[in-house]
Amino acid sequence: MHNFWVTVKHTIRQRLLSKSFLWSTIIMMLLIIGFINADQILSFFSGEENREGGSIVAVVDDTGQDEEIITMLLENKSETVHYHHYNEGDVEDALQEASDGAFDFVLSLSGDSTSLEATFFSDSSDYNMNEIVNQDVQRVKEAVVTKELDLNEEELAMIHAPVSFQIETLTEDGKVQTEESRMQAYWMVYGLVFAIYLIVLSFGTIIATEVATEKSSRVMELIVSSINPIVQMFGKLVGIGIVGVINLLSLFVAGMIGFTLNDTDVFQFFTRGSLDISLLWYALLFIVLGYFVYGGVAAMLGALVSRAEEVNQALQPLIFLAMIAFFIAIFGLNTPDSMMIQVLSYIPFFTPQLLFLRIGMGTVPMWEMVVIIGILVLSAIAINILAARVYKGGVLMYGKFSLKDGIKRALTLAKKES
Amino acid sequence: MTLVVNHVKKRFGKHMAVDGITLTVNKGEMFGLLGANGAGKTTTFRMILGLLEPTEGVITWENHPLSYRRTNLIGYLPEERGLYPKLTVKEQLLYLMSLKGMSKAAILRALREWLDRFDIRDYENKKIEELSKGNQQKIQFIASVLHQPELLILDEPFSGLDPVNMEMLKEAVLDLHEAGTTIVFSSHQMGNVEELCEDLIILKKGKAVLQGNLREIKRSYGLKKVIIHSDNDLSYLQSVPGVIHVEKVKDGAIVRMEKEEVAEAVFDAIANKGFVRHFEVVEPSLHDIFVDKAGGEDDA
Repeated sequence: MHNFWVTVKHTIRQRLLSKSFLWSTIIMMLLIIGFINADQILSFFSGEENREGGSIVAVVDDTGQDEEIITMLLENKSETVHYHHYNEGDVEDALQEASDGAFDFVLSLSGDSTSLEATFFSDSSDYNMNEIVNQDVQRVKEAVVTKELDLNEEELAMIHAPVSFQIETLTEDGKVQTEESRMQAYWMVYGLVFAIYLIVLSFGTIIATEVATEKSSRVMELIVSSINPIVQMFGKLVGIGIVGVINLLSLFVAGMIGFTLNDTDVFQFFTRGSLDISLLWYALLFIVLGYFVYGGVAAMLGALVSRAEEVNQALQPLIFLAMIAFFIAIFGLNTPDSMMIQVLSYIPFFTPQLLFLRIGMGTVPMWEMVVIIGILVLSAIAINILAARVYKGGVLMYGKFSLKDGIKRALTLAKKES
Repeated sequence: MTLVVNHVKKRFGKHMAVDGITLTVNKGEMFGLLGANGAGKTTTFRMILGLLEPTEGVITWENHPLSYRRTNLIGYLPEERGLYPKLTVKEQLLYLMSLKGMSKAAILRALREWLDRFDIRDYENKKIEELSKGNQQKIQFIASVLHQPELLILDEPFSGLDPVNMEMLKEAVLDLHEAGTTIVFSSHQMGNVEELCEDLIILKKGKAVLQGNLREIKRSYGLKKVIIHSDNDLSYLQSVPGVIHVEKVKDGAIVRMEKEEVAEAVFDAIANKGFVRHFEVVEPSLHDIFVDKAGGEDDA
């Protein structure tokens, strides 16, 4: 156990003190802060484009309603839209002036209050605008009509009183998906699938490269004469895992800094209560298990090559696996309950992504969850036992890399009988 | 208190790398393991260290098999030298020696002593890749002895060193020997083996071809030679019965013979064939014995 921690410490130290790690983390942090504040940075460079107080909409009024609608519309003060009564010509003139830059959009109103027709001349850059203007016009129309009908406050309140709409689950252990929770689950699944992919890609490469470097510099033989290669392998896995956590934490801190600069209340997102906290725990569990499944294989592959240059070639099959899991999961986001996703979620290399997808986007019976996670844990152990045995023989083995022969030779070396 | 290797075999697939060797190294002894390239020396070392499991047989140190729980008793200098190229000498040894269970203070104290001894005190904070090959080798040696092991295994400790450094290292090995360390080492340089070790084994294709106390081996070894200094052509000695080979050298010839008695016949043969300045019967050097025993058609 002593040597395990010595190796963990050594691995972390070597990583954290390396210049490339330091710089890549700093660059990633800056990128994240920059990305979150992209709108502010962009508006800084194109400051005058964004007029104070939002876009100006020229309103051409052909309703003949004693300008009641247009007056109420003009009273509508918001940060994003300013309505301007255009009475120097018809729609054509207004459009002409808009294209000259006097206005951002043109709104034409016709008909009367009961059958109001509105045409909004917009461009493709801001689909939000259509929605906002539509709502404004709708509201003004409702106000004008209720006024015409001469309804009193009470009657008005009766019209606007919302229906009590409750959602219950169909089955007892089922769960209800609101649009909000669905979107949150969607992004969390997306995030996790992506995170696992990145972890396999970057940390798998780090693990394998580190092993291969120790082999190619021939320091490995000295190390394994002092420490059981299996202990050393797990020390490395855990050490690099901790470095990964430090890495993620620093990116998280960068995100926090970014949001603080942007005046967004990040904590609201977590404290609002709509986020399913159990989902976060599952994410954590799957990242850890996924790390050991893929990391074990990466260490094994690293032990099979003799030179650091061969690492990429050796890692190819593992990266393909992660890629396949990634695409299946992305595809499965839309059909989380399909047979294919269900079956594939039993395969250990796909479980972290696909079972999380199923938990987040659909419903998984408890027994199935236990079985699948059980399979994942057992196979993580089995993979690491196999990896450790190959590792033990592999670290003493030099020569040309070949996956099949390599594993066979390494197992032979590690074994007593051959 | 001894290292015992008992009928040990190691097979890799169809290839028998070590084929039934048996040896005993007493505590405090200096033991030589000789053999041509590919004779099975490194595989034997790896089995002693527990890096490889023997296919057959047992290896024990003080009556127990060596395991990772007792690695602090062992020092190892692998034939393929290697350290972390990017780490400094200090970082390097702090890691390697803490794997042996040493405390940081003890490591630094011992390291400075050794660096002083090898005259490389300034290299403590230098990266390995910045050092010359000879100095890297000294660091590598330090890495195998810093924790004061009871059993020290040196695989080709002197290869690639200049004579000054070789003497320095040899002296260090002798000091460790005097301090009671049990040392097993392999070497291609027979001169070093003759100087250093008392007992030895010569391996050929995984088998022991010669084994025992160096002095006894040399005394009882049938192979003898005669050194003759003469201006005359001595190639006719080849026809004397019992002569194996006549090697022409600058001031005469070296004649190898099957046994000591042949020397008389050689002496008789040259007695009336001109003047001879020098005639000497000598014991074979270890080099001669090695070439005779370990050499062969597939000698690498």
